[in-house]
Amino acid sequence: MITSHRIALVAGRELRAERRQPDGVVAAVTFIAVLVLLESLVVGPQIAREADVAAALFWLALAFATILATMRSFDRELEDDALEGLVALPGGRDALFGGKVLSLAIVLLLVATVGGILSIVLLDLRIALPMHLLVVVLLGVLALPPIVVVDVVLALRLRARAALVPILALPVLVPQLVAATRGTSAALQGDAVGALSWAGLLFAFAVVYTVIGLTIVPAAIE
Amino acid sequence: MTETTISRGNALPRIRPWLGIAAAASFVVASVMALFWAPTDAVQGNVYRILYVHVPLAWLAYLAFVVVFLASVGWLWTKNPLFDAIAVSSAEIGVLFTGLFLVAGSIWAKPTWGVWWTWEPRLVTTAIMFVMYVGYLLLRGLSTDFSRRATRAAVFGIIAVIDVPIVHLSVLWANSLHQLPTVLRAGGSPALDSAMLLTLMVSLGAYTLIYAYFMTSRVSLELARQVRLWTT
Repeated sequence: MITSHRIALVAGRELRAERRQPDGVVAAVTFIAVLVLLESLVVGPQIAREADVAAALFWLALAFATILATMRSFDRELEDDALEGLVALPGGRDALFGGKVLSLAIVLLLVATVGGILSIVLLDLRIALPMHLLVVVLLGVLALPPIVVVDVVLALRLRARAALVPILALPVLVPQLVAATRGTSAALQGDAVGALSWAGLLFAFAVVYTVIGLTIVPAAIE
Repeated sequence: MTETTISRGNALPRIRPWLGIAAAASFVVASVMALFWAPTDAVQGNVYRILYVHVPLAWLAYLAFVVVFLASVGWLWTKNPLFDAIAVSSAEIGVLFTGLFLVAGSIWAKPTWGVWWTWEPRLVTTAIMFVMYVGYLLLRGLSTDFSRRATRAAVFGIIAVIDVPIVHLSVLWANSLHQLPTVLRAGGSPALDSAMLLTLMVSLGAYTLIYAYFMTSRVSLELARQVRLWTT
C-alpha cells in the first residue's frame, strides 16, 4: 500500500471519529466565535473593523483553535489506546503524521469558514478581493497544522502538555501567522499583488513543514 | 551508553585549560582594542563601541543554535549520546548568549533610538528565537526517559533552526530601524573602517573561544550526568 493511500485512510478514519465525537470541532468553532465576539468588545467596533486588526485576531484565534483541535485529536487516540496499534502498522508513523495533518486541515477549513462568516457579518467587513481572500485562507489553513501536529507529538504523554504545546508551537508559527494576516488584510483592502505574494509564502511554509514533518516526525513517535 | 562516548568525555578536560587561557587572553586583547584602539564613530561617538559586544553575542547565538541543529541531526542519525550532550550544552549557552544579545541591543538602542525596546523585525524575531529555545529546554526538562527526551529535543532542535536565517534576514525583508548587515553583505565588501573591522574580527574570535570553552565544560558535565543517571 503506498504512503498516500495510507495517509488518506488515516485522514478518513480521523474525520469519521470527529463526526462521531465532534468535541474537537465544537471546541474550536466555539473558541473562534467567542474570540470574534470579544474582539469588538475589547478593542471597540471601529478598531475591530480595521482590516489589519480583524485579520490578526482571526489568525491568532485560528492558531489557538488548531492547537485545541490537534490536542483533542491525540487525546482521543490516547484514551482509546489506539495510537500503539496505528504506529505498529507498516508505514504507520508516516501515515499518522500525514493523516492527522490532512484531517486537521479539513477540520480547520470548517472552523475558518464559520469564523470568517462571523467576522464578516458581525464586524461588517468589506471584502475587496473575495477570490484572493479564499486563496489566502485555504493556504493559511494548510500552513498551520504541520507544525502543531509535530509539537503535539513531541509533547505526548508529558506533564504540563497543555502549557508546553502553545509554548513550542506559537513561536514557530510566527512567520505563517504574519503571512496569513498580511495576506488577508491585503485581500480585504484590494491589494491583489500583496495578497498573492503572502499566499505564495504560506504555500512554501506548508510544503516545507510538511516535508520536514514527514522526514523527522516518525522518529519522534514512540 | 557507549565506551566511545565516555572516552571522548575524558579527553575534554585536557583541552579545557588551554581553551580557557586562550579565551581569557583574547577577550582581554579584544576589550583593549574595542575600548582604546578602535576609532570613535563619527555619528554615534563612543556609544557605538557596544558593537564589539553586541555583534559577537549575535554571532554566538546563531552559532550555538546551528550547533544544536547539527547535533540533533547527529543524534537522530547515530543515537550516539555525545550528540545529545552537545545539543543540550549548545542550547543552554545559546539561550544565555541570546539573552545577553537582547540586553546589549537594548542598552545600545536607548541612546541611539531613544527607547529600550521597539517593535521592529530584528528585535521581535530575536525575542521569538529566545522563547523558542527556552521551549526547547522546557521540553527536555519535562521528559524523563533519556532516549525519548533526546529524540523529542532533536526533532524540535531541527525545526527551530529555521528561525536563525529569519532573524538575520529580517532587516532586509521588512522596514526596519535596525541597521542593515555591514559585514556579511550581499554583493560587497564590509561597510566598516578597517580598524573597526579588525577589532570586530578579534572580538568575534575571542567570543568564539569563550563559546568553545563553555561547550567543553558543559559537555563534560553532561556526559558525566548521562553516565550517572542513565547507566545506573
